[in-house]
Parts: sequence; C-alpha cells; structure tokens
Amino acid sequence: MSRSDRLRRTYPVVFLTLVAVITGWVLVAGNVHLSGLITAVHSALHKPSDSAQLISYDLLPAGAMDDEQCEGAPVNASSALAADPLKEGIPNSLTARSSAETAPADVSGKKPVRMIRDRYASYSSVAVDPTNNEVVVTDENLFNVLVYNRLDNTPPTAVTEPKRAIGGLKTKIEFQSGVYVDPKNGDIYAVNNDTVDTLVVFSREAKGDVRPAREVHTPHGTFGIAVDEEHQELLLTVQHDSAVVTFEKTATSEDAPIRLLQGEHTLLADPHGMALDTNDDLIFVTNHGSVHQVRAGAVAASGRIRESDLRKSNWPLGFSNAIPGSGKNLPPSITVYPRTASGDAAPLRVIQGPKTQMNWPTGIAYDPRSHELFVANDMGDSILVFSASASGDVAPIRVLTGPKTLIKNPTGVYVDANNDELWVANFGNHTATAYKLTAAGDTAPQRVIRSAPRDRPTLSIGNPHPVAYDSKREQLLVPN
Amino acid sequence: MAHPQIAAFARLADGNAKPVRKIEGQKTLLGRTMHSIVYDEIHDEFVVPQQFGQAILTFRGGADGEEVPVRVIQGSLTQLRNPDRLGLDPVHNEIFVPQGNSVLVFSREAKGNVAPIRVIKGPDTQLGASALAVDPVHDLLVVGGTVRGVGSRLLIFNRTDQGNVKPKAVIGGPKSGLAHISGPFAVYPAKNEIIVSVRGSSNESNEMSSDKCFVGVWSTQDNGDVPPRWTIGGPKGILRMVRGVDLDPKNKSVIVTDKRLNAVLTFYFPEMF
Repeated sequence: MSRSDRLRRTYPVVFLTLVAVITGWVLVAGNVHLSGLITAVHSALHKPSDSAQLISYDLLPAGAMDDEQCEGAPVNASSALAADPLKEGIPNSLTARSSAETAPADVSGKKPVRMIRDRYASYSSVAVDPTNNEVVVTDENLFNVLVYNRLDNTPPTAVTEPKRAIGGLKTKIEFQSGVYVDPKNGDIYAVNNDTVDTLVVFSREAKGDVRPAREVHTPHGTFGIAVDEEHQELLLTVQHDSAVVTFEKTATSEDAPIRLLQGEHTLLADPHGMALDTNDDLIFVTNHGSVHQVRAGAVAASGRIRESDLRKSNWPLGFSNAIPGSGKNLPPSITVYPRTASGDAAPLRVIQGPKTQMNWPTGIAYDPRSHELFVANDMGDSILVFSASASGDVAPIRVLTGPKTLIKNPTGVYVDANNDELWVANFGNHTATAYKLTAAGDTAPQRVIRSAPRDRPTLSIGNPHPVAYDSKREQLLVPN
Repeated sequence: MAHPQIAAFARLADGNAKPVRKIEGQKTLLGRTMHSIVYDEIHDEFVVPQQFGQAILTFRGGADGEEVPVRVIQGSLTQLRNPDRLGLDPVHNEIFVPQGNSVLVFSREAKGNVAPIRVIKGPDTQLGASALAVDPVHDLLVVGGTVRGVGSRLLIFNRTDQGNVKPKAVIGGPKSGLAHISGPFAVYPAKNEIIVSVRGSSNESNEMSSDKCFVGVWSTQDNGDVPPRWTIGGPKGILRMVRGVDLDPKNKSVIVTDKRLNAVLTFYFPEMF
C-alpha cells in the first residue's frame, strides 16, 4: 500500500474519531474554549498513521469514582462501613487554574487517570469484648473501627459483615494501630499512630461518624496500648520518641501523663506493641530497633511540637531534642520493665538475638495462665510464643506459621482467656483469624473474619507520604 | 502505621492493584515515617531517609524483598538530627537533607559515619527547611518549609551555596497560596517548574482532610508573592490531604499521594511538560 493510499484510508477514521472526541468533550465539559478545540484538531490531524494513537484523552464522568463498589461485599456492607474517605464530599467538578498571563488551555474538570487504592479494610490490631462476644479490629486503610460477632466464620469467597463500624472525620480515626476494650463496659480505646495525636474512646454503642466519648491528646506516634484495670492506668508506646507514657485511665483532653519511660538505658527502640502482666507487675514491649538519643534542652521546640506540650510533666522529648548523629539500628527485641518503671530505667530483661526469629515484632499479648507471650512477628508471617520469663537469645517455645494458618504480616495479637483463643490481625491479607491458644506449626484457624475475598490483592499502603517514579522499570515507588 | 514498606507498582496500575515488589523487613533498616524517596535514574538507585535511626539509606534500583541497603550514612559526624526528607542531584552526585534551620549536603557515594561536604545555615538563609528539590540543569536548590510567624515559602538558592547565604528568590505570601507545604516536591528543569503539594491550611483541625489542598506549579524564575500557574486536584478537587508528588515526564504525568484517600493518583497533565 502506498503512502497516499494509507493516508486516504486513515483520514476518514481520524476524522470520525475526532468528531466523536470533540462531541464527547463538549457534552462532558460543557464549556470548551476555542483554543482547546484548535489544539485538539491539530493534535488529531498532524499525525496520520496505520496504527492507533492517542490523540486526546477522555475525561471520566463527574463522580465516576464516587460509586466504587466492593465486589464480594455483603449486601448492606456499604452502609455498615462508616467511613470511606473517597466518598467524603467529592464535588461534581474538579478544579485547576492558571494564574500566568500565558496560561495554556483550560484544564478544569481533570480527574486522575489512575488511582491505586485498596478498597478493603486492612486490620492492624484486634481485641475481644468477652462480655458481648464481639471482636473489635482497627482498619488502617479505610479508617474505621469495626465490630464483628466473635463467632463469625467467613468462607474465602465472601466478606464478613461488621455489626457496627465507627469511622469518619468526626471520629478522628485514621491510622489506629492499637485497640483496647474495657471488659466492664465495652468502651473501645483506639490508638492513633500518625496524623492525629489523639487517643479516642467510644462507648460500646457508638457507630457511624460520631465524636468520641472521650479524647486524650497524646505524643505523636503512639502505637501499642495496655490498660491496668487494677491501678486504673493506661500505658502507650511512642514510636517516634522511643518512650512509654502512662496516663490515668480516665485521662481526658490535655491531661499530662503520670509517668514517662524514655532514655538510652531503657533500650526502647522504635517500640510497638505492649503487654501487661498484672500478677508480677511487669510490662513487655516489642521494639523494631531503630533509635536515636535525646537530651533535654538540646534544641528549641520546632515543627509540630506544641509549646503547651513542652510544659506538661512526663511529656517525652522529641526530635527537637534529638542528639544529632546518635542514631543507630539495633536488633529487634522484647524489653521487660516493672510496671511503674520511669525515667531512664534499664529493662529487667531483654529477649533478643537470632534464635528468637524476630523480624519486626509488632503486637504482643500475655496469657497469665500459661505465663506465655504471643508476638505478632510481622515479617516472619508468624506468631512467636515465648515464656514470659525468657531472657537473651532464646528460641520461641512454639511458632504458629505456614500457609494453612493464613497468617500474613501479622501486626496485632490478642489472648482471649475466656474462650482459650488467640486472635491475629493480618495486615497482609484482609483477615483476622482465631486459633486455639496452644496452636503451633501450620495449623488452620478455627474461624476467619474477612474484609475482602481471598483473591483480592493487599496493598498494605499506609499514609503514602512521598512517591518516586522509577523511570527504568516504569514503576511507582510508594513508601509507608 | 502498622507496617513499614516500600511498595512498587506498575506505572499503569490502578485500583486494587498488586504491588510488583516490596522492600520490607529487618535487614532493610527501613522504619516508618519515610517522608521522602528519590529515584536516581543515572545510577539506578533510590534513596530514603530513616528518621528514627538518623540515617540515609541507598538501595539498588531493583531492590526487592528483605534486601540490605547498598550504602548507609549514619553516625556522629553526619549532623543528622531528624532526616525527614531529602533531595538528590544525580548529575553532581550529591544528596541534600533539609533539617529545619539548615541544609546538609553529602556526597551521593558517601557511606558510614561521614560529615556533610557543605552546610547552608545562618540567619541570612531564612531557612525553615522541611523539603527540597535540586535543579541540576540550572544549578538551583529549591527549599520549602515553614517559619513560625512568617508562613510557608519556597526559597531558591544556588545549588552550590553554603554557609550563611541569602536565597536568590523567595516565593511566598497570601497570593501564593503556599499555606503549609505538604510534603516532598519536585522540579522540572526543562520548563523551569516547581511542583509542590500544598495542604491549604496550617490549621491542626484540618490535618485529617481539607478541600483546600492542591498541587501547585510555580516557576523557578518566580519571586515574591506569586500565585501558581496551575493547581491540580484542588482546591475543592479530588484531593483530601495531599502529601508527595513526583513526575513522569515521558508520559506527561504528575503522580500524587494522598493521606486521607490512602492512595496514589496519576494525573495526565501534558500542559506542564
């Protein structure tokens, strides 16, 4: 075929395509500038060819992304899920504007051509309400606290419907990494690990986008929670400052902590989960290992540090007090302290070393009857069980791991002593799973709660702050 | 958040797409709060800060799984206090770290306990540095940040500046819309552009979500209280709480992260390329 023949055959196709695109554009945009039309015409006519080529792009209809439905979701799941940030007040027209005198074509109404986003809840922590036979999980993806029937057991192709969901802007729930259920009244305590420096407390009946019954302003980066009912105290780990702060359990608003554990001798290093042994008055803390030292008065307050916080007693020293160049990466550990440890107190014991198999140990729970510690070993896809008296480089007394367990990136763990069950929040596969407390090896769970059908990929995105484009591999690099 | 990781997605990934690889695990030395990542296409590496351990980690471009960094800058000589974000000049082989009232500059190939090769610091600098980007073509360093009582601004320095030096230009003011620079930003030297994510408000109550946030495009030749040439994704757009931004010039795309949506959005935006 000659070039002229090719052009003769190509022009009608291009022309019809052009008409269709312009017609669609006018219908969708409604207000098209002449310069934009001229640009589109030039784009279409300048490059005739045999093969298909991009001559323009279609705008998604307004609200096209507003109505995303979760495949496999129960019939009324959309109403059961309190929060989906994608549906929070999206306007019909999206804006872009140019202030320059030589502004190019109007780009109003542009929507993203792609959006990478997990549409399903990612469970980060778990607790059981023994009185009401309910399981409570935090969801770090769609920002909800979800309450399920404890005895729910969902097949791989289905999704578990929550009994209640708390989520939305009023709740202040976002990256909740720790949860505690008051055994007496069912109050739910949810720890925010990022973005909102507030511990939120909800009554058992709370659901939807409701304000917390109580809020406590906390240091930035709290992760784990343990509550001492006997002494009416509430303990939180603080990742950013490698610290443990203790509040009165009834603390509210701007109340200051009553104790602070922080300093080089504590060996706290990016602390995560925390468990309490009320019989022996001990606390156990899991540490990922990276840490820097702080010194009072090192630098004046800056960044997001609030002056009012600095005046509070027992407030941890933050980055503004960091000693430059003091950072290091230690092996992961479990550090053990007296419950009332404060200041720069050294741990009583440390579980640490290659025999422990720890790889980003995150959640931790204690069973007082067996005197055992259960560790959610995030990167080992395992639950490690240690004697609570263990010290040094010791192997776990049993390990729960393998494909049948469904354990994947576990970040939360809970001992349900009333029902002799172990609950695991699997951040890596949209499930919370229940086992016998004595389970070991590649043992299947007794029951499974699912936020997504088994075949749905888990993105595990959490507060995607930066992004980089890898031009060689044509990939987007997205850190949490 | 519960699980630190660097997830890599295919350029055309959309929706519930599975990452093609993840870098994660104890040996990576990664921690959470990775507020910056830069890809070096000349040397096929990427670099991230590690805030808790006060370190700069460089990985192979194709790193996968529990892979150790190829280089680590960490130690008492580094002056690293809270390395939250960073910038890279792959042409002149330098890593820039904003650190409040200073900017530290390291050799790209530095590793271990090394001192910065240059430091910008002093009252004349006007620094409140929280993020930066390097234009290696025009030898510019653009530093963003907020100073209490002054607000958020973009300061433009010569790339090789050091010591107590004044910025060549300052972009900021009420017309600029630079209310609370949100995260790491990008420059596009071919068009002298600075692409910045802006939260739209420094009000703490708007930390969760704000319809005022947007991605704005300024010029490296701007100076003073200059509004952006374009805003993308807002105000009153799809963005809820914008974070970082990067560019894919080949495909004329702006890539944006959003904390509230917990998502990565790609805007096709040929006008700015």
